Amino acid sequence: MVQERLTVRQERDLVIAAECGDSDACRELVETFLPAIAALAVGFQSNAFDQQELLQAGVAGLLFAARRYDASLDTPFWAYASFWVRKAMQELVADLARPVSLSDRAVRDLARLKKTRRAYQQAHRAEPTTEELSRASGLTRAQLESLEATERAPRAMDDELAAYVIVDLDAEQAYQQVLDDLEIGYLRDLTDELDERERIVVRAHYGLGEHQQTLDEIGARLGLTAERARQIEVGALNKLREGLAQPAI
Amino acid sequence: MSHRSEGLRHNALVYESQDEFLARAVPFLLEGIEAGEGAVVAHTKPGLAMMRDALGSDAEHVMFVDVGSAYTRPARTLAAYHKVYAEQLEKTPTLRAVADVQFGPDPAEWDLWTVYEAVFNRSFAHLPAWVVCSYNANGSPDRILEGVWQTHPEVIEREMWSTSERYEDPDDLLRRLVPSPEPISELGSIGAGRDEEDFRERLARELLADGVPETQVLDMLLASTEIYANARQHGGGVEDVRVGRAEGRFVCEIVDQGEGFDDPTAGYLAPRDGVGTGLWVARQLTWRIEFFRSPAGFTARISL
Repeated sequence: MVQERLTVRQERDLVIAAECGDSDACRELVETFLPAIAALAVGFQSNAFDQQELLQAGVAGLLFAARRYDASLDTPFWAYASFWVRKAMQELVADLARPVSLSDRAVRDLARLKKTRRAYQQAHRAEPTTEELSRASGLTRAQLESLEATERAPRAMDDELAAYVIVDLDAEQAYQQVLDDLEIGYLRDLTDELDERERIVVRAHYGLGEHQQTLDEIGARLGLTAERARQIEVGALNKLREGLAQPAI
Repeated sequence: MSHRSEGLRHNALVYESQDEFLARAVPFLLEGIEAGEGAVVAHTKPGLAMMRDALGSDAEHVMFVDVGSAYTRPARTLAAYHKVYAEQLEKTPTLRAVADVQFGPDPAEWDLWTVYEAVFNRSFAHLPAWVVCSYNANGSPDRILEGVWQTHPEVIEREMWSTSERYEDPDDLLRRLVPSPEPISELGSIGAGRDEEDFRERLARELLADGVPETQVLDMLLASTEIYANARQHGGGVEDVRVGRAEGRFVCEIVDQGEGFDDPTAGYLAPRDGVGTGLWVARQLTWRIEFFRSPAGFTARISL
């Protein structure tokens, strides 16, 4: 796809929208800069790894740059982002190139992880998230990341792959997963933390994905008084607040 | 060197080679493990792999955290580290950590990360943690290295432990480096609102009309409610609420009738007894929060 060149303002707005988690903006940002990412990837060409994976690392680097980029500092976005794209590629190359040696315990944990992932895939017909994998396996998120890193091995380059096409990233979920992975524990959608009734009240009251309603209307919909709906909302907001303010000790 | 278990010890390791880094970082962690302390390595993927290899079988006692993409905004980075330290401190009474800070290539944003390092001292002052931040002297410009001495009470350089004489009080450093907000003329009043609920309803309408993504709407509602509630309780009441787009971002300003406060670390202190958590939550959910006095009154500006 040939992208028209964006104005400085359009580019700024696109980067900010991507930073705010707008999936369409993420997709457009990636499409706009994919040729530039691919051009950077040329410098890393080797038969030791998969070119597609290199491009995906570059895309992750681009989206990370969007999360961090401060347009008010007046640095052109690509001048800023290209450093993070290149860095992501360098890290992938270093990761794939290093020899892997595992302790006995790591081998056992890795076997447990694979077994848990297989069981989940069979039960749900979907890939587990890191949180689900952590819950099901009893391994911490950090342990999972460490084990998943050791699972990786050098891969051969597939000449059949067109350098500019990233099949996996066509799915919106793939963009979201890259975004979710960017910050440890940073929640993209707070309503995921609410139970169903809390979610209905909050989403309806503030017009999230539906028409904004009064507490009277929401109460009538749920067979509750407006006051009860208000209490549910207050409880939901307190729950979200407390979730973000847990003391360490 | 011993660890004072009652609070944070925040040091920097300035190294010139990978061998020097490992020669310091590995024994530092092993000494802690031997004493029953937790051990955390927070680094990029290559850094984690290097440390894992160097630690050998002791690596199984260490929590490895990939922070290659954790450095987006200081408040979010602090929250991410807080979560990691909380997880470790559930298992051990104290911890030691080696952390790599990602300053990036743009000199325009270096001050932001120097501010992060300064505020780290206050944010986690209560935690029984000994954190060593690592800096490659060969890859770091002089301005960043000067900031290391200004933000770490002790620095290890050329195999010497030194108390930093250039260490600066975090409040003073923040006042020096954080730019003062400029007035924004594009914002319009939506009225002060009767109470938190009325305020949220008004703000939600503006956010939706502006096309702010759904997930961010709730972030803004939660964050701004914290500040609105503070203004009502401690700021003598809300004078006005102004919203709009500025420099591409949705902005909400809450003006109160009080004297205001002068606390540059407000909202950066991790949750603990005696410290309010409202601004900590608000900073995590938004791009930037600034406080300033204006002719209209004491103003909190929340940028999404």
